[in-house]
Amino acid sequence: MDKAFSFFLVLRLLFQPTTVFKVLSDLQPSSVVVFLKIALWFGILPPLFAYIGASNYGWRLGNVEPLFLPNQTLVVISIAYFIALLLGFISTSIVSRWMASTYGARHALGVHFAMISIVGAPLALGSVIHLYPDVFINILVLVPAILWSMYLLYRGLPIVLHTTPERGMLMASSLIGYFLVALVSLLGITVALWSYGIGPSLGV
Amino acid sequence: MADPAKSLSVEIYSDRIVTVLVMFSIFWAVLGMFAGVYVAAQLIWPELNFDNPWISFGRLRTFHTNVVIFGFAVSALMGTAYYSVQRTCHVRLFAPNLAWFTCWAWQIAILLGGLSLLGGLNTSKEYAELEWPFDIAITVVWVCFAIVFFGTIAKRRIKEIYISNWFYGGLIIVIAMLHIVNSMELPVTLTKSYSLYAGAQDAIVQWWYGHNAVGFLLTGGFLGMMYYFLPKQAERPIWSYRLSIVAFWAFAYSYIWAGPHHLHFNAIPEWVQNLGVIMSLILLAPSWASMVNGIMTVSTAWEKLRTDPALKFIVLALAFYGLATFEGPMMAIKSVNVISHFTDWTVGHVHSGALGWNALITFGTFYFLVPRLVGAKLYSVRLANIHFWMALAGTILYIVAMWGAGVSQGVLWLALDQIGELRYSFTDIMAAMNPYYLLRFIAGLIFLLGAMLMAFNFSMTIIGRRTIAVRPPMLTESMA
Repeated sequence: MDKAFSFFLVLRLLFQPTTVFKVLSDLQPSSVVVFLKIALWFGILPPLFAYIGASNYGWRLGNVEPLFLPNQTLVVISIAYFIALLLGFISTSIVSRWMASTYGARHALGVHFAMISIVGAPLALGSVIHLYPDVFINILVLVPAILWSMYLLYRGLPIVLHTTPERGMLMASSLIGYFLVALVSLLGITVALWSYGIGPSLGV
Repeated sequence: MADPAKSLSVEIYSDRIVTVLVMFSIFWAVLGMFAGVYVAAQLIWPELNFDNPWISFGRLRTFHTNVVIFGFAVSALMGTAYYSVQRTCHVRLFAPNLAWFTCWAWQIAILLGGLSLLGGLNTSKEYAELEWPFDIAITVVWVCFAIVFFGTIAKRRIKEIYISNWFYGGLIIVIAMLHIVNSMELPVTLTKSYSLYAGAQDAIVQWWYGHNAVGFLLTGGFLGMMYYFLPKQAERPIWSYRLSIVAFWAFAYSYIWAGPHHLHFNAIPEWVQNLGVIMSLILLAPSWASMVNGIMTVSTAWEKLRTDPALKFIVLALAFYGLATFEGPMMAIKSVNVISHFTDWTVGHVHSGALGWNALITFGTFYFLVPRLVGAKLYSVRLANIHFWMALAGTILYIVAMWGAGVSQGVLWLALDQIGELRYSFTDIMAAMNPYYLLRFIAGLIFLLGAMLMAFNFSMTIIGRRTIAVRPPMLTESMA
């Protein structure tokens, strides 16, 4: 069995989550390696898919004609999306490590990078739906992906971070609180940018 | 059977009234949530109103909000306030018969009030739709609630007034003030009245009421619940008592100003709108102080999670409380509000608070309270765990569906074409919302089914049992 923390190990999550958690609980991956080997690529997927989808088909917000944005705007938005995802990944990992002392979990930053990568995997892979940029279809695919991520978080956190299931449950709930706030901030920042004229042409 | 307090001639907590209020609260929760799911279905299949005005969308939606807020939430708050004020003061309720009056009169007011809304009587003021006879009845019951609560505090045997009582007390005083000021109206007939305020003043008074009803009832009242029941379940004192006191006063001071953020870009003075934004942003600090206090209290008592299904609900409730109290100030910022206002994002925000915070913390409290009230084990811990996952899935699905719907609406309503005119018609946009409304319907249904599981679980726990008699601890010691 491949004992290094690799892309293939993360993909095995789809079939054998518990095995992957156990393998990971014995590893001490370096944060740089996890970032370069996994997180960076997961981070590229959603903006790349979104760019391809939006430039070819335009965003569909319902039964009305799709919304096309100029190519230059799309590039800017995709890069901003990529940066936001990476910042989100790094900040969540740091928050997770900060919480670790409260919940008696492992401290090494690399382990938290690995854990957050695992949790983000269903969302990163689910983002393939951005290729077909219809808001409703995207929600239909990404909500189960979010629930799957939450399942991995609750299930995997105590094993990977070496803490009791009860403390793991508390830490996972705290991380969900942070995640929801981060998500709604992203939504708020996006909407505020729109109202300042960056993005779709709105009468505000 | 005689009242155990009288037959034993010793002081016993008035807990039967708590059991009754908890049962009513659960009844209203199931009924009110069912009405919510039904109106959600009507947004997809309008023919579900069967051309009957009593179950038409406009009437049933108001019925839903009134029953869940005043039936489910207020009964829960009244019951838990009566339970905790006795235990934090070490005395029986002041004027127990008056307390029974508040319990039954409140239930009758909700029943008749709900029917009056279905019958089409409506003042058209949000969360204050009931007509003037009900406004008077509510005032009378509320004043009696205040007499019982503050009377109990006045005869307390513990010098310190515990923090939960400050929040419950704040709830009682501020709701009385808001209700009386906002309900000032001129009755024309028995079933029709007109507000004493006109135009922009009416709007400002209404949202001063509306926002602070959310603040002092749905936030402050439930924080009172959290501050008593969370340490009780965790068997730990609150993490920082000083922080809880600071949070209370900062909360009471800043909340009262935030109402105008409901009236952005309307015909009220610009400075009033901006004041609403600033105070909404400041409000984040005391809101999160209580969240941190709750999370840190429970984080040292993790081993309790092994045996107690209730604590999980409270932990998750705090996470959603964190979301809702962050999202609210964010939506008060004008550059966000210009897109989010009047869209389903607002509906999603309300439900992240109502389902994620209010309902979950109440469920957690009831899972703790009901077995203790009747001195029995919970009928099924497994059902409670299933309920937990249903509540989580239902809430997440609801919020995300409304984010999608709300942001789409915001963009489509404001999108311009090449010549600078609005690009889409309102009806096209409404039709485009159908898929989101279907998701929201499913989310609500999952949440409702979870609540019904809980109701079944409690019925099986309570059935054939009576509320057990509990004495205040100081008396027990003196008698020993």
